[in-house]
Amino acid sequence: MNIKDALQNKKLLILLGPVLGLVMFAVTVKMASSLMKSEYRDAYRAPAATADQTPRVAGEAEEAANAAKVAQDKPYKEVDYRTFPLVGSRVAIWMVAQLHLLFAAFVLAVPIFAFIVEAIGYKTGDPRYDRLAHEFTKLLSVSFSLTATFGAGLTFMLIILYPKFTNYLMSVFSPTFLPYVLLFFAEAFFLYTYYYGWGKFHPLVHLGLGLGLNVVGTGIMLIANSWLTFMMSPKGVSSSGALLSLTDAIYNYTWMPINVHRVIANIAFGGSVASAYAAFKFLHATTDEERAHYDWMGYIGNFVAISAFLPLPFAGYWLAKEIYAYSQTLGLTMMGGAFSWLFIIQAVLIGNLFLGANYYLWLGMGRVEGAQPFQKFVKYLLAAIVVCFMVWATPRSIIATVSEIRAMGGSAHPVLGFLGVMSAKNTAVNILILTTFMSFLLYRRTGKISTVGWAKAGQAAQLVIFALVAVFVIFLGVYGYFVEATVRIKLSVPQVLSVLLAMVSITVIDVFLFRQPRKTGEVRWGRIPAVSQYVLIFVAVTFTWLMGLMGYVRSGLRQHWHVYGIIRDNSVDAFTPTLGFATKVVSVTVLLFFLLIGVVFWIASLHDQPDFAERSKARRRGGSGEVSPELPVPSPGA
Amino acid sequence: MRIPHSIRVAALVLATTAFYGYVGQLVPQKEVQPPQETAFAADLSTADMAKVGRQIMEGKGFCLTCHTIGKTGALRFPDLAGVDVRAMTRVPGLNDVEYFAQSMYEPTAYVVPGFPPAMPPINKPPIALSDQEILCVIAYLQTLGGTPTVTLQTKHHYNGGAAAPGAAAAPAAPPAPGAVGK
Repeated sequence: MNIKDALQNKKLLILLGPVLGLVMFAVTVKMASSLMKSEYRDAYRAPAATADQTPRVAGEAEEAANAAKVAQDKPYKEVDYRTFPLVGSRVAIWMVAQLHLLFAAFVLAVPIFAFIVEAIGYKTGDPRYDRLAHEFTKLLSVSFSLTATFGAGLTFMLIILYPKFTNYLMSVFSPTFLPYVLLFFAEAFFLYTYYYGWGKFHPLVHLGLGLGLNVVGTGIMLIANSWLTFMMSPKGVSSSGALLSLTDAIYNYTWMPINVHRVIANIAFGGSVASAYAAFKFLHATTDEERAHYDWMGYIGNFVAISAFLPLPFAGYWLAKEIYAYSQTLGLTMMGGAFSWLFIIQAVLIGNLFLGANYYLWLGMGRVEGAQPFQKFVKYLLAAIVVCFMVWATPRSIIATVSEIRAMGGSAHPVLGFLGVMSAKNTAVNILILTTFMSFLLYRRTGKISTVGWAKAGQAAQLVIFALVAVFVIFLGVYGYFVEATVRIKLSVPQVLSVLLAMVSITVIDVFLFRQPRKTGEVRWGRIPAVSQYVLIFVAVTFTWLMGLMGYVRSGLRQHWHVYGIIRDNSVDAFTPTLGFATKVVSVTVLLFFLLIGVVFWIASLHDQPDFAERSKARRRGGSGEVSPELPVPSPGA
Repeated sequence: MRIPHSIRVAALVLATTAFYGYVGQLVPQKEVQPPQETAFAADLSTADMAKVGRQIMEGKGFCLTCHTIGKTGALRFPDLAGVDVRAMTRVPGLNDVEYFAQSMYEPTAYVVPGFPPAMPPINKPPIALSDQEILCVIAYLQTLGGTPTVTLQTKHHYNGGAAAPGAAAAPAAPPAPGAVGK
């Protein structure tokens, strides 16, 4: 019997356990007695009462008494700030808050689309959807624990590092804390019953648990959002900060736009991280069934992410509008002051997101038989995206030497400078959204032909709507150069509305056009180049980085204020750091997040691993011990 | 040798993050310090006040975030070149000092046609310039088309002086052609 087998012999282990315990006890007693013998002992001295007190002893006694008195008289002093070692308080709070938010966003988003996918499965009776929703939910429980851990860490750090400010915030929002805690308990209840109760309840009861999880999660987010938006756009308090109305403090200027923006952004982010998980599993898949399943999962995750991402700029526009409505100074600090260059970085990120998402869709066309007629449009779509990306990323002013500035006649380039203004950028982003929407539409049509009698008219109507809206958006963009500021700033509203109208109307027509289509080819899930999976991971990292950057601008916008215009930041970190420094912090935070999410993926994948005993048996039989998990095989054409 | 997917994924995450971090280093780097209270010598001359006023406009006052000096075309907020000339006559009954003071203490009292009523009160948080700092800004604004006249002791409607329509008007420079009414 070798050592490995001996270690697995239960009888032997039961026998050896008490023996080992006795031996350890004997060793402990021996060590203790040996230490006692060699213990240091003071030399004998006469008791203090029987010896005369020397002047030195008297002096020492007096000193001790004085020290005790000083200690007793020391007044209690409330500190305003404490310092975190090495990186400082701000960076420490920043990173912990960002990690908390990233996990919270994931935990809030996944139940939304898991619930929708499960509901589709229930409605259609297709078990694949149920399994997919379950797989998404597997990622939740560990993420939930990490969210709570970072949340607790953030709270303690705020109390320790910013005690006075935290105390103020608590004095304003203390009535919201109990509902927050109760909702948190409710979320834990719903989450764990939703996950562990999979298949144990009637489907409608289980869907009810999922709905409860979403409602409670959203409630938690709304409460937390009121705290942070109050810091940015305080309301319901006097000029000195005294609370006048809690309702107003909660329902401040930016609360509702942030709520809407966060729900949409969370879905986009959650979808992208879930698709990154699927991509990771796809790359490590060993069978065609696994590849097919994870290809499908990645596709759904990416579909969720991009569907939520398309309306996100509109929600962002609303938020920016409310920031301007609250304080022009705040708005101009964001768009024209210290943070204006941040939006060039944002343009690079969003441009990459659009490019990545479109590239994935174009690669995905290859898995559908009969996609060739649509692939010829890809080059035009790519050209449109690149042009829009370039316009959006054009800065208004250029970093240049004195001689270069003289040669240009100013800090703005004589030609490209015209593209650096909001008229051009708004136009570019709207066309970018329209183009990506077209990519989706083309992908949706691959392998299908409409059979309705009005197919030609319907498709012509879609094309006309698309062309009209594109022309209208470009016209308004150009028109903006020739009108006064009061007119120009209002032009983005019709631009946004027309693009939304186009997306909704074209989708409605498309749904009816392809209700019962004739199929020209099947979808061969899993038949997609591996590079597509790296694109999904790239998109997830970019989304995460973008969230980190926009989290920074939302919070950093207050500059030297804890609560804008009310409670000033007097700490050593009150200055606004350079964008270079901020992006370094964001990068490190994103890397930490992916390190942790890697752990989440690993723990979630343990669920699919065969039990230890099974693996041992398989090993004894001479196999590798790898047992392929039972996976749903998507039916053709899904 | 085939590189395992895990290593490739880790490299991709690292490279993507590093790339965006690098992009962040390419844009202009500016650290913005919180504004400090300006200390004024009692005998600060009007010319020195104008210099201080210019510094306040660039920094603590955030004025030049929105306003331009000597720029034409589609502007979002009024250009300040030659503004003193216009300030003398823009609001009937207000001289340039009173007009500038009103623009900063009560900016929506009069809004230049064609521009949004977007300027915040400059004496209140978050900008919260002191009365003396605002006088310095007025001294600088007076140099744009006129000659500065204010001192740290100058009183206007918003710092304890009585409303003084037309009083203590600064010596006006001749209006530049086409500047009035802009």
